[in-house]
Amino acid sequence: MTGLTGSAGCFDAILPYIVTILLISSIYAIFALGLNLEWGFTGLLNFGHVAFFAIGAYTTVLLDLWGCPLVLSIIAGVALAGFFGFLLGIPTLRLRADYLAIVTIGFSEVLRFILLNEEWLTRGPFGVYGFERPFQDVIPYQYYNTFLLILYVAILVAIYASLERLMHSPWGRVLKSIREDESVPSALGKNVFWYKIQSLMLGSAIAGLAGALLAFYLQYVSPATFKPIETFHAWIIIILGGTASNRGTIVGALILWTFFSGTKFISRLVPLESHQMGAFRMIVIGLLLMLLMMYKPEGIFGKKEELALSD
Amino acid sequence: MEILSVKNVKKHFGGVKAVDGCSIRIETGTVMGLIGPNGAGKTTLFNLISGFEKGSGEITFKGMRTDKLPPFKIARCGMVRTFQIPRALSKMTVLENLLLAPKAQHGERIWNVWLRRKSVQMQENTIKEKSREILEFFEISHLEDEYAGALSGGQKKLLEMARAIAIDPSLMMLDEPFAGVNPTLARKITGYIDELREGGMTFFIIEHDIPAITKISDKITVMSEGKVLTEGTPDEIRSNPDVLNVYLGGEG
Ligand SMILES: Nc1ncnc2c1ncn2[C@@H]1O[C@H](COP(=O)(O)OP(=O)(O)OP(=O)(O)O)[C@@H](O)[C@H]1O
Ligand SMILES: [Mg+2]
Repeated sequence: MTGLTGSAGCFDAILPYIVTILLISSIYAIFALGLNLEWGFTGLLNFGHVAFFAIGAYTTVLLDLWGCPLVLSIIAGVALAGFFGFLLGIPTLRLRADYLAIVTIGFSEVLRFILLNEEWLTRGPFGVYGFERPFQDVIPYQYYNTFLLILYVAILVAIYASLERLMHSPWGRVLKSIREDESVPSALGKNVFWYKIQSLMLGSAIAGLAGALLAFYLQYVSPATFKPIETFHAWIIIILGGTASNRGTIVGALILWTFFSGTKFISRLVPLESHQMGAFRMIVIGLLLMLLMMYKPEGIFGKKEELALSD
Repeated sequence: MEILSVKNVKKHFGGVKAVDGCSIRIETGTVMGLIGPNGAGKTTLFNLISGFEKGSGEITFKGMRTDKLPPFKIARCGMVRTFQIPRALSKMTVLENLLLAPKAQHGERIWNVWLRRKSVQMQENTIKEKSREILEFFEISHLEDEYAGALSGGQKKLLEMARAIAIDPSLMMLDEPFAGVNPTLARKITGYIDELREGGMTFFIIEHDIPAITKISDKITVMSEGKVLTEGTPDEIRSNPDVLNVYLGGEG
């Protein structure tokens, strides 16, 4: 009897922990699916993906605080993230691939400084809190995270299914051909520039949605939430999972956040300061990625045959 | 009626005058051959006509000035070119390489993937069928599900040509279509080109295989050092002393 309640108690203690991991994984899976569309399927080098994450999050919560209905706030966040993808794409996507990389990385840092300094708009370094969360009046607080998890997984599945459908359509075929060698679709009459813009807009809009979801989960956003490292988390996720694999991206997100949470757990047992632990985790991630590159360079769900192909 | 007219076109790379004032006219429904020594500027001329390089001079295709247009717009007018070094889309299958080609596919618009599912699917099936026929002709249909990057050099050349045919152009510009292709198949392709020309298609073909090019061409242009040396029927070209001098040597 005592044993039973003991294990049930243990389960009760661990369940919220698992819910947390799954929640954050599903948010990052959505975030990384946007990047996978851009890089994995179109070959666009976006090193400032976090900017669109931030735009989605801030737009949603600020509009909500100004009295805009929640659904409209989310839609506006998604649309604005997509619109900024469009704006950054216009001058860069006709040029060599590295220009987009440079401009996006610059943009994400400039944006973070704006979030820090334009306090009248963004509330500066202290961040934004006190905004509404979906159905917060209906769902009892102790079940709220479970509710969010169900909601987020549903959204993730919907986005995954939509992306899979797109990638198997003629539209997705053009994107893949651009990734392979854009002179070929050009010679066949495809407007390569316009497709790249669409890919960047859609990928950014997806990141914007992930941003809104992150805000609801954290109940708080600040400039520190959107550091450049978040972009690289998305990159790690798609490399882990296997580039151009949507399924791999989801699994990659799960692995990364299980690992992060696991090491947080362990950190209570090892005599390291928290900032040392943070650095230690990144070292371990780096080592794991190196091992992955050595033994399974195509990623978990990547296609091995593809690596051996030459032009 | 002429389909393509090139007037005094120039392209210099630093000191290299790759194309240096070329003028060429091609009649609809004919095969124009383009020969000349290595580095004569043939590929560069193709790049200029198809919009991949921008130079000076006038290019008119189907009565429309195209020299300022981007490659995709020129292609949409009905001109397709192949690349001398074949550009297979490596991580796509052979079939996908062909499916890409046809113009105005409904499913290339993102919203149609949802809004016009049926017509997208139907069109996809038609395109697939046609693509398979083309692959069949080029004798690579057994490879349809292989990655294009896994093909041999000659097979990639065939794929490149097959893809160009799949778009059903009015002017097809082929950059050394027979290089690396086995003789039997080369003959078959020659026959196919003849057939397509009968159907009204126009060809502009760069080729170093003199017997092959003289056999299929109605007219041949000879380039040397960026300039048009001469133009004429295959017989005229073969007996032209200048051509013998710079290109054909003892062969003619
Ligand atoms: N992008 C470039 N940059 C610099 N020089 C170039 C470039 N493209 C071509 N050239 C030069 O222009 C000249 C013509 O090259 P082109 O490729 O047009 O020759 P070609 O007639 O097609 O020769 P081949 O029969 O060997 O294919 C060469 O001297 C080449 O070095
Ligand atoms: Mg050449």
